[in-house]
Amino acid sequence: MQTQTDTVVADVRGLTKHYAGVKALTDADVTIRGGEVRALLGRNGAGKSTLIRLLAGVETADRGTVQIAGQPLDGGVRRAAELGVETVHQELSLVPQMTVAENMFLGAWPMTGGRVDFAAMRRGAAEVLSELDLAIDPDALVEDLPIAEQQLVEICRAVRRAPRLLILDEPTSALAAGEVAVVLATVRRVAETGVAVIYVSHRLDEIRQVATSATVMRDGRVIETVDLEDVSTRRVVELMLGDAVQEQDRPATRSVDRDATPRLSVRNLAAGRKVEDVSFDVYPGEVVGLAGLMGSGRSETLRAIAGFDPIDSGEVWVDGTPITSVTPRGMKSLGIGMTPEDRKSSAIVPLLGVDENLALADYRQVSDGPTIRWERLRAAAARLIDRLSIATARSTTPIVNLSGGNQQKAVIGRWLHAGSRVLLLDEPTRGVDVQAKEEIYRLIRELADDGAAVVFVSGELEELPLVCDRVVVVRHGRVTGEMVGEQITTDAVVAAAMTTD
Amino acid sequence: MTTTTDTAAPARDRGAWLRGTRLNEIGLVVAIAVLYIVLGSTAAGFLNAGNQLGMLRDAATIGIAAWGVTLVIIAGEIDISIGPAVAFASVLVAMGSADWGLGVVGAIVLTLVLGTAWGALAGWLRAQFGVPSFIATLGLWSVLGGLGLYLTNALPVVLPQSGLLDVLGGSILGIPTAAIVMLVLFAVFVYVAKYTAYGRAVYAVGGNPAAAMLAGINLSRVRIVLFATTGLLSAITGILLAARLGAGSGSAASGLEFDVIAAVVIGGTALAGGRGSLLGTLLGVVFITVIGNGLVLLGVDSFLQDVIRGVIIVGAVLINVWAGRRGTATRTS
Repeated sequence: MQTQTDTVVADVRGLTKHYAGVKALTDADVTIRGGEVRALLGRNGAGKSTLIRLLAGVETADRGTVQIAGQPLDGGVRRAAELGVETVHQELSLVPQMTVAENMFLGAWPMTGGRVDFAAMRRGAAEVLSELDLAIDPDALVEDLPIAEQQLVEICRAVRRAPRLLILDEPTSALAAGEVAVVLATVRRVAETGVAVIYVSHRLDEIRQVATSATVMRDGRVIETVDLEDVSTRRVVELMLGDAVQEQDRPATRSVDRDATPRLSVRNLAAGRKVEDVSFDVYPGEVVGLAGLMGSGRSETLRAIAGFDPIDSGEVWVDGTPITSVTPRGMKSLGIGMTPEDRKSSAIVPLLGVDENLALADYRQVSDGPTIRWERLRAAAARLIDRLSIATARSTTPIVNLSGGNQQKAVIGRWLHAGSRVLLLDEPTRGVDVQAKEEIYRLIRELADDGAAVVFVSGELEELPLVCDRVVVVRHGRVTGEMVGEQITTDAVVAAAMTTD
Repeated sequence: MTTTTDTAAPARDRGAWLRGTRLNEIGLVVAIAVLYIVLGSTAAGFLNAGNQLGMLRDAATIGIAAWGVTLVIIAGEIDISIGPAVAFASVLVAMGSADWGLGVVGAIVLTLVLGTAWGALAGWLRAQFGVPSFIATLGLWSVLGGLGLYLTNALPVVLPQSGLLDVLGGSILGIPTAAIVMLVLFAVFVYVAKYTAYGRAVYAVGGNPAAAMLAGINLSRVRIVLFATTGLLSAITGILLAARLGAGSGSAASGLEFDVIAAVVIGGTALAGGRGSLLGTLLGVVFITVIGNGLVLLGVDSFLQDVIRGVIIVGAVLINVWAGRRGTATRTS
């Protein structure tokens, strides 16, 4: 980890960018040296993205300068690439139907005699892969690779262009804990070759594994750059949030009546390739966590229960009654609501207002016969916006303009509006900032207090102790354990989910 | 940007509303007003009551189908079958009443039912098998166009005398019946789009099909209804056209599908789906009709008319796209 050199790769001085009324970035000073991995920390909207966009040449600063290896970054994206700035964005930007090698040379195919030289391309790709010590076949189709390896291909593509500064924007946000290690190792290896790396992430634990220092941003300003070896997590969080940190302690154990009829029972569920044998109960007022790594079948289990994937065998019971035909419509009318893991692509309708996104699953409540009563829809939406403390300018604002955490609250609110009593929440905190996460935890607990039965799935296993009354461990599509109350600790949950046998 | 945007968001939100949704419509109103001023002073007879009513009738031919196509495009689909569908419907109503002995009412009912059916078929192919709607309706375009010509040997089929057809092809209180039908259907579609769960589902499906599906919206049903609707509207247009011309013809309404799509897109509906309005389409229909009428009155060569129309349509959409881009407030973080 100590590969830092004395060469200043990126020197940012007084960088300022204001959008209409929004001070996205103000007077930012940052210096990064070759071989250094610098973590960039801050809540959503703290100015990280703006800083990155300015470094990548996507936007032009109002004031201030950026120097890359002593030369001014005075042009757009091309100039940035010329100076050796490469960015790997949070969303994958690979062409799934092409091979690993082709993706690494996308738009810059090596040519021989006017033809694409596939052999040279393969050699070049293999070279980068072996340099980073990765066992990925350059001829494999990207769509056949697991997400973690796709992420590595993205990094390789950037590395192939021999960057001076490599910017990684949440490279592990889509990965499960077990898959993160290989990405972190690769990042360290890239830094060892003298490249300066900016590493953006919400996951403090992994930042400690990969970075030596962290620049903390808040409200568009650089607050402090700290040495990660002698700073406590608490201090980092304090810097990020500004105010005093809230106690992240476990919520008080609540009493759940497990002698009552379970609101939802799943018995020996098998569905598709990933769900083999899953059984669990959820009681009214209970939050049950499904703990499993990515690919363990946790999302698929929820989809099957909600009727979106066909069930091969097994039973689903609601309020003590077996459901013979599990269909989306049927399960919805029984009061089961599911929020999908990918908020942007499968939960929100971006251009519709927050109000309509809330009402989407049930217009009947706000209609007279076939006619939607907009004043009633707006009133219902306003109540939910208030109850869930969704921060939005108004109820008609297109939901795409809201922050991730507020979008997620609206997606949960959609099922409250539809009167769901069982909430299947798939990764409700993915890609939202620390503060929004805490609000969502609190919201889930409150919903349970009001009698809802909640199934909570998260790729960040350390979240489960903060929300769940009970945790069911899922591994390779099978239930392998269960923890209740005090037994639910981060160590225990992670260990149970990751143990391979 | 939890803290910083909270104060700034209302202003930006209002701006987006103004620019994104209204600027386009205001721009169209201005453009139409300019056209009226220019044509009113240069094209003889443009402002005549007779010419204005004629334009209203022409607008109906585009407009009726355009209401349905607006919803189709908002849902992220496309329907290119309108022209041949209208022609075939005119043939059906003519042959049904003149040759097949169904009587005028029977022929009209048959045409409406079949129109709905072939539309639903295209929708079913889209919904059930994932045939792209461009291809499903291209097939319809070819089949209906061919059938219309085959059944009639490419000759017009004269309609029998009928009071009902006279009314449909004529006027009520001086206003062309087709225009009345268009305006009534406009009101119906504005209502459906804004005030029914189906209408909102259309926007949701176009904006994000995966989210709509997971919210429990039946995508297949929405898609089938969409195309059944355009089939029905094509049939209505075909009946009105036949009544007006006094005959059904397999070569009628040639190229109408492109006028319809152009009107919808000029009206600000995004071809990518998720965004659009019927008011915009109404203005788009008026815009296209006025240009077409003006070019005729100005005595522009008919081949050259197509050239000018093409340039104007692309130009209008270009301005739209530009306005839309500046007006759309999106944040990705």
